[in-house]
Amino acid sequence: MSRILLVEDNEMNRDMLSRRLERRDYKVIIAVDGEQAVALAGSEQPDIILMDMDLPVKDGWTASAEIKQNRQTAGIPIIALTAHAMAGDEARARAAGCDEYEIKPIEFSRLLGKIEQLTQ
Amino acid sequence: MAKKHTQASQPEDPISELTSPAMALVTLCDKLYSSQYDQENLLGDLIALNEASLLLQQTLKKASQDNISTINARLRHDLRNQLGLIKGYAELLMEESDASEIRKSLASILAAAQDILHNPHLVSPSESEALEHSSLKNPEPKALTRLQGERRGAIIIIDDDFRNCELLERHLQNTDHLVISFQSGEDALDYLENNDADVIFLDLIMPEPDGFEVLQRLKQNEQTRAIPVIMVSGIQDAKGVARCIEAGADDYLFKPVDATLLRARLSAGLERKRWLDKENQYRMELERSHSFIRQIFGRYLSDDIVANLLEQPEGLDLGGVKRKVSILMADIRGFTPLCESLPPERVVALINNYVGQMSEIIIRNFGTIDEILGDAILAIFGAPVSREDDTERAIACAIEMQNAMSRINEQNLDMQLPVIEVGIGLNTGEVIAGNIGSERRAKYGVVGHHVNLTARIEDYTQGNEILASQYTVSDCAVPLRIAREFSATPKGVAEPVNIYQITGIEGHYQKYIDSEPAEVAKEHS
Repeated sequence: MSRILLVEDNEMNRDMLSRRLERRDYKVIIAVDGEQAVALAGSEQPDIILMDMDLPVKDGWTASAEIKQNRQTAGIPIIALTAHAMAGDEARARAAGCDEYEIKPIEFSRLLGKIEQLTQ
Repeated sequence: MAKKHTQASQPEDPISELTSPAMALVTLCDKLYSSQYDQENLLGDLIALNEASLLLQQTLKKASQDNISTINARLRHDLRNQLGLIKGYAELLMEESDASEIRKSLASILAAAQDILHNPHLVSPSESEALEHSSLKNPEPKALTRLQGERRGAIIIIDDDFRNCELLERHLQNTDHLVISFQSGEDALDYLENNDADVIFLDLIMPEPDGFEVLQRLKQNEQTRAIPVIMVSGIQDAKGVARCIEAGADDYLFKPVDATLLRARLSAGLERKRWLDKENQYRMELERSHSFIRQIFGRYLSDDIVANLLEQPEGLDLGGVKRKVSILMADIRGFTPLCESLPPERVVALINNYVGQMSEIIIRNFGTIDEILGDAILAIFGAPVSREDDTERAIACAIEMQNAMSRINEQNLDMQLPVIEVGIGLNTGEVIAGNIGSERRAKYGVVGHHVNLTARIEDYTQGNEILASQYTVSDCAVPLRIAREFSATPKGVAEPVNIYQITGIEGHYQKYIDSEPAEVAKEHS
């Protein structure tokens, strides 16, 4: 089954999302900030990354850009997750290399659809 | 005048606007937790759900303590995130539990969270921008944006008992609509004079004006006629509700109001209003593009029929419907010899002046001018739009027409034209109304036995007279003044028909033939 790197600093969000994904038989790897995300993307080689944009240490945009610039991790699809969607957020996420974009609160079934599509 | 209305979701303070639905959500989560805490396998998620709802409550409490008046990006982020958590845990529990009781509570928690997320204060800028963008893309922004603006009307509650208002408000507060309550029908009617509404919940039993009267006044007013009205009453007043449905109410609810039924009625009402608005918009567009039709035919057809023709493509089909109408036929007595004695252009001047003024009177009385053949005018009351007082209006119209003759004759004298006298025949009955004719040349009109009978009755008239058939007289709901009556068997009619000479109509019409000699008048009801 696919392995998902979930990058989320909020504990409750992390708990809720990871458990919901695990119930769908995904293997979930957790990162709590942007720096960890870049490191785990390289070492764990997940099938897909769910990236919160509003992260400590290194924000989601920077982390995404770095992952996409690294040849070893560039092929991993990234879905950007953000709650305070500002005008241009989507363009910004795409510019950083994110493949998909989800506004929080997450529509879980839609997110599942996107994960499936990107991990095929 | 002091208005006693309370407004449920005023746009004034976004925090307090969000707090009451949020508190309801917190209560729902707490109830679920305390009723199901013995469910070991669910306990973790129940606690998490409860905690997420408490976070939401705290965030709002803090914002209110900090006197925050607008919701900034940070606060919106937090609130949306917390609502997302509540949704997420509720959905998780949904997946884990088969117990219908739990699932029911979860469903209401999910609905409540979703409703708060739809609050305009919590819609993120990109979403609202996307909405704006889509309306800008429309090729006809002017008319559309105006209509969209108008469409965001309010839900109006009219109930003399403020507790009932509050109860309904509570049920309605998550619907994204402005809810405005009025404790008096008069105040509500006042408000609706200048403001649009999407749905009205109207209590039946109220002190003056009661629900039925408020309904009637809403349906009589051009401005408010289209707003769906849902009657609210006790089940013991079912008869009264039936009467309201007949008078134009769209739906009903019995007290105590059931939340599910309320939602269903509300969405049906909103849907109806949406279609009506759409229809309105469509008509506006058509009217603009077909304004020339209005200019050409507007003189002969009332606005009703023009609107009907323009707004419904199927209105142009041939065929028709059977309906009861009152038919008015008027012509100038001794017209043919008159024609022969006058030069043609003088005849045309005479007819135009006469027909012009008569048309105006008929249209003013909401009649439809079906045909003008030389000096003869055929008008119908009750098609294409039927009203309760079709017959009374037809009679009042005939009297007004006769009374206009003295003015027309004065003008005729000024123009060196002869004085003319008019006879008017009235009849009431079922006819076929519709577009009649061939594909190439069809016009809206009426046909049937009763049209022919009207012509026969009109034949019996002398100058300055109005003759009406027994059918018209018995259909008239208000007393009439009748100068004479006789029985006749017109050509083509099997049974003799009673014919009455009418000289006045009572009720709120109060119209009498000017020259009517008082001693001839007698009461008829």
